[in-house]
Amino acid sequence: MTSMPRVLSSPSKRPDNPPPVDVSTGRWCRRTRLNETTLALLLVLALLSTGCASLTPLPGRGMNLRYTHGDADAPSWAGEHRKGASAAVDSGRAEETKRASALAAHLAFRGARDEVTGTLRHLSGELSRLEQSHWGIAGESAGLFLPHVEYGQRQLRWMEAELTTATRLALMASEVEDEDMQLALLRLAGPRLEAAMLGSLLLATWADVLHLLDVAFKHGYTSLETLFVEMDRWRKMLEPAMTALASHAPGHLEATAQDMPMLMGHLSSEFNATAQRLHSGLRNTQKVMALAQFVEMVTMVSAMKFSLPRLGPSVPATLGVGMVMGGDGVMMGTRIVVSAEWVEMMRRLVRTGVLSLPVVSAAVRIQAGQVLMAEAHDELPRGVRAALGDGPEVRGMHVTGRTGAGMAEPPRHHVLPKEFREWFEKRGFTGEMDIDQFCVKLEQAHHQAIHGGGNWKLGRVWPGEWNRMIMEALRGAESKTGRMLKQNEVLELVAERMEEYSIPMNFISWSGR
Amino acid sequence: MSDGRAWEGNWKVRIYERLRERGYDSLTDFAGARPTASLVALAEELGRDDVAGVQVLSGLLAEAEQRKQVTRFVRDVLVRMLCKSLPDGWPAELDDTNRFKVAKALGSWVAYTPESHKERADKAGDALLATPPPPGWRPLGPDDELLLTLLPDEEV
Repeated sequence: MTSMPRVLSSPSKRPDNPPPVDVSTGRWCRRTRLNETTLALLLVLALLSTGCASLTPLPGRGMNLRYTHGDADAPSWAGEHRKGASAAVDSGRAEETKRASALAAHLAFRGARDEVTGTLRHLSGELSRLEQSHWGIAGESAGLFLPHVEYGQRQLRWMEAELTTATRLALMASEVEDEDMQLALLRLAGPRLEAAMLGSLLLATWADVLHLLDVAFKHGYTSLETLFVEMDRWRKMLEPAMTALASHAPGHLEATAQDMPMLMGHLSSEFNATAQRLHSGLRNTQKVMALAQFVEMVTMVSAMKFSLPRLGPSVPATLGVGMVMGGDGVMMGTRIVVSAEWVEMMRRLVRTGVLSLPVVSAAVRIQAGQVLMAEAHDELPRGVRAALGDGPEVRGMHVTGRTGAGMAEPPRHHVLPKEFREWFEKRGFTGEMDIDQFCVKLEQAHHQAIHGGGNWKLGRVWPGEWNRMIMEALRGAESKTGRMLKQNEVLELVAERMEEYSIPMNFISWSGR
Repeated sequence: MSDGRAWEGNWKVRIYERLRERGYDSLTDFAGARPTASLVALAEELGRDDVAGVQVLSGLLAEAEQRKQVTRFVRDVLVRMLCKSLPDGWPAELDDTNRFKVAKALGSWVAYTPESHKERADKAGDALLATPPPPGWRPLGPDDELLLTLLPDEEV
């Protein structure tokens, strides 16, 4: 998350910025990440730029990814459709569009995930290095400050676990042939990616703080008590958001996302104040190092770098510089906040409901820095939001996931019948693939209509009729296959029947997330 | 994929309105003119967002009961399920992947078959797997020769 916008924005770095001091292995890590991300993005772009929809399967994609090329959201040929064209042709094209959309979402998901993975890998290295920093934070006062490093490492572990789970779900998505099911599985993985993405931003900030202490200690800073109290305060600021992200409680993710720019803005200014204090408390011999350079040296990891107020006399006022969507990406003045490629990647994920706009917006605002972070709950400019995939249907997609005050929620139903939980567990539906993850909401109208079938004998009773039918179909398929069905096969069959029942393939978990 | 609107309002009335607009008196005639189209494709042709495949299935069964042609209806559904699962016809080799494709079609088909015909349908499915048809076999309608031998009409 943090890596890409920074890397891509470096060409526009203005000369008044002091050159970064490479004090860690950060440079190598970042380059590797750039390569990974660039590859993923090039792949996306190459696929999208082929434009017209051909039926050629992707070379080297393996058996399961049965996607085809073509732009998903706004196919150029859509307007050329003659009315009255045969239904077969229409549904054929709709099919291709669906495939293209699933492919684009899949690649974008991989790109976004790789980026967070890269950030976490870098943070992991950073925390391990700090743990061993015997001249710095792990020196004489290790007892006081190492617990904070360990706190960071604990956070890292849940984020890695979320990413692993998200990866497993994405892999499952690639093994299912039905495009709606592919997207549905990616949407299940979305909140986990979001949690890790936002968590990595917070953790990067935490690593910066630790790094600041490390550098200060190495340069002979001795006023431990003040720092100890300060660290405690910092952690208390950070902890609620971190805990909310790590919990799977419904609604927490987006609420945290809304508050995060503000929190990050607050942390940045605190960080800056502490840095100034530390700098003035350093031994005289070290003071030759300018404050700006000191801060630059410390903030290797997080997005805080951009959010810190510029130091020194020639401070260019960034206040009031609006954010706009331009050809190179989201721009603020002359600085690229996030690249056009990143925006495109996010747009695909937002349009397909994999990531939610509030989370992506929060990330952009954090990258934009202090000015926008300080404006609590403010939305991004309309042009930027549109570029990130905003639209009424996208908003609707996520609002339905939450309960409004006093609003009646449509009843939820297990698509994989809960009376047969054990049957599904034996076929691998546990953990993130638990049958509780595969619930759908049905409006009362849907419900009643299925009940009121008169003498039309099928498709009549929900959930009883569905449960009976789907178990019979699954068991029948199993006995005819002569072995237990695999997870992707179960989902494949269920997806086809859901389509026939016109049940929207938008899963929510039984508990609400 | 519709968004669930298929179940709003009186969908039976809606289906017959759409049929009349397209010049058909019955679902059986409409489906009969498209013998290999999937249930979802039939539903989408009648209403992209507001008709469900399983509603078409229900309607076809109701008509078949009136016409006393339920066995023919059962074969008709099998043709559609097989065409969806095996668009290139019966596989040359019944390996694990292909066997699942066949099994998925047969299992779902039996689940959609009315109680009165389930056992016969299940046995017909087993027979098809035990003595596979030639590679590339693709029934083009409910009167396919092989299907007629597996599930002959009983009704008069």
